[in-house]
Formats: sequence, C-alpha cells, structure tokens
Amino acid sequence: MNISVTGPRIFYTIHTGIPILGDFNITETLVVSWIVMIIITGLCIYLTRDLRVENISKRQAVAEMLVETLENFVSNNTGGKKQFMKLVPFIGALFSTSLLSNLISLTGLRSPTADLSTEAAWAIVVFIMITAEKIKSAGLGGYFKGFTEPIFVMTPFNILSELATPIGMACRHFGNILSGIVINGLIYAALALLSNKVLGLIPGLVGDFLSNIPIFSVGIPAFLSVYFDWFTGFMQAFIFCILTLQYINNASES
Amino acid sequence: MQTQDLVTIVPWTFIAQICNLFIQIFLIKKFLIKPIKEVIAKRHALATEELDKARRTNTEAEQIKSEYESNLANAKDEAATIIQTANRTAIQKSDEIIANANKEAAAIRRKAENDIALERKSAVNEIKDEIGSMALDIAEKIIEREVDEEDHKKLIDEFIENVGDVK
Repeated sequence: MNISVTGPRIFYTIHTGIPILGDFNITETLVVSWIVMIIITGLCIYLTRDLRVENISKRQAVAEMLVETLENFVSNNTGGKKQFMKLVPFIGALFSTSLLSNLISLTGLRSPTADLSTEAAWAIVVFIMITAEKIKSAGLGGYFKGFTEPIFVMTPFNILSELATPIGMACRHFGNILSGIVINGLIYAALALLSNKVLGLIPGLVGDFLSNIPIFSVGIPAFLSVYFDWFTGFMQAFIFCILTLQYINNASES
Repeated sequence: MQTQDLVTIVPWTFIAQICNLFIQIFLIKKFLIKPIKEVIAKRHALATEELDKARRTNTEAEQIKSEYESNLANAKDEAATIIQTANRTAIQKSDEIIANANKEAAAIRRKAENDIALERKSAVNEIKDEIGSMALDIAEKIIEREVDEEDHKKLIDEFIENVGDVK
C-alpha cells in the first residue's frame, strides 16, 4: 500500500512569462485562503451588526470581548506600550487567519498553512516590521553596528540569527501543520488497512464486502484530530502571534 | 490534477498571501475593531456623563439637605419662642383671672357683710319696737293708769337703753 502526501493542488495556471516569479498558479492554498478571509470578514460583519451602546446583544458582547481580549493580548506582550496598540488589527488578522486556516482542515479542505508560501509571506511581513522597529529605535547606523557586537567576529552569526527569526517562525508553523497532515494520512491508511485485514477474517462474501470498507477510519481519527487539528491549530496561531509581538517589542528596546 | 511540491515557496502564492494578509488587516479593522471601539468609546462617554450627572445631583441633594436641616432648626427655634410666648400669655391671663376673681369675691363678701349688718340693724329696730310696745302694755297693766304718751315714750326709750345695747 502506498501513501503519498502531496502539495496543494493547482486548479488553474496563468502564464505570466515574468522571469523568476514564474507562472501564477491558482492553488488550493489561495482558494482556501480566500474562503478563510470570507468567513472571517463575514463573521466580523455578523458580530458587529446592530451595535448598541446600552442593552447589548450576546453577539455584541462576544464581539466586544474578542476586541478587548485582542487588545489585552497585544498590550500584555508588548509591556503595555501605547505605540504598539496600532498592531492590534495586524495581530487580529494574523491570529484569526492562522487559526481558521489551521482549523479549516477539519472540514476536509486543505489548510493554507500547509503551504510554506503562506507562512513565509507572514514571516517576511513580521521580519520587515521587526527590522523597521530596530532601525527606528537605534537608527540606521546603530542597526548595522548592532551586527558587529559584542565583537566584530560575531557579524556572520548575528546576520544568521537575524535571518533565522523569520525562517524559524515560518518553518515552525508550517512544520506543525504539515506533520498533522502527514500523521493524519498515515493513520487513515493504517486504519483502512487494519479494517481490511480484521474484517477479511470473516469468511465468505460478507467478509469480502466488509473488508473493502475502511470501517475503523470512522471515529477513531476524530480523537487524534483533537490534538493535531485543534490543539496544534490553536497553539501555532498563538505562538506565531506571541513571537511577532515579542520580537517587535524587543526590537524597540534594543 | 497537477499538484505543487510539498515543501516549497511559490513566488506568486507568496506575494498573494502577503496581499491577502494586508486585505485581511484592513477588513478586520473596518468591520470589527473600528465599530467596536467606537461603540465602547460612546459607552464610555455616556458612562462619564451619567457619573457627572449623578455627582451633580448628589451635590444638589446635599445642598437641599443642609437647607432643609437649617430650616428645621429655625422652625424648632420658632416653635420654642411661640410656646414661650404662649406660656407667658397664659400665665398673665391666669393671673389676671385670679386677681379678678379675688376682687369679685371680695366685693361679694363686702356686700354680703353690708347686707347682714343692715338686716341686723333692721331686726334690732323691730325687736326694739316690739319690746317697746310690750313694755308699754306691761306697764299699763301693772300701774293700771293712763300715762302720758310723751312720758311713756321717754320711759320706754330709757328702758331700752337700759335693757342693753345690742351691739
């Protein structure tokens, strides 16, 4: 029995003819990303419908709680600095997109976060923000001088560690989600094989018929998905946002 | 169907995902954070206003209370004065009444005494007359002769004088 875990499917290819960038592929990643965006935006619109100052609905209470939690999250991880409150929409978008992208695999769609391009895109944005924050706090000269500290010999290592930040963030997120997909694939295959073998023991036509249906695949993977989809999905979204805030906060203090 | 490599960075997807992230930031800001922050700010303003109003009302109430208390104290003082005045007037009145009563009683007594004296006098005079005529009769009977009326009178008066002074 062969198991193959492939990348996202390509639905349509637009030939751009631009070198380096290559062709524009409408992949599963992009389509599901758009679905995620539509869901998040739709949810936002639904939650903030009919806002009132007094006598608020449950829906509004949830929306206010979300916004307050988000603000607290940002201010807790940046030491309550006022300048970082502008990051609230960014962190909100990052967290909600990441979380929903991770969890959407529960519906059978392929997570956009199971494509390294997605995490790389987020990580590069974060990296640019970190760098901008560093330059802002230390000045351009100070920023470059920072690479030669504590001694000049350390410069290559400092550059490496600087680059390791976005790569680490992207790969951590991607690896966790991909590993979930791989393990899920393996378990499904293993359970199908198991049910084939066990039910094949039933003699006659009944056994032949039942052994073709992967009965064990029903239900059992749901327990595993509690960890691989729910827990990992939450954790990775959370970690990505916490790291973003911590890095930016540290950058402003250097 | 074609598939992408499992671990790779596709430039266009990469760019598209950056755009998606910024679009998502914009959408979340527009549809969730901004309206909620607005409503929270509005509520905050309302709460501050209500609090201010409550504080104002409180000070007003305090003022009214102190005013009321001073009014009450004034009223108490006034009541005390009124009662005092009433008491004084009452005492005066009662004194007057008692004095009048005493005067009247004295007058009545005097009149009664005068009456008694008058009565007594008249009674004495009557008795005197009676005794006079009785004496005359007795004397006539004793001496059995006519005595001059003039002499008689003198004699009787003398006799009465001698019988005794009534007083």
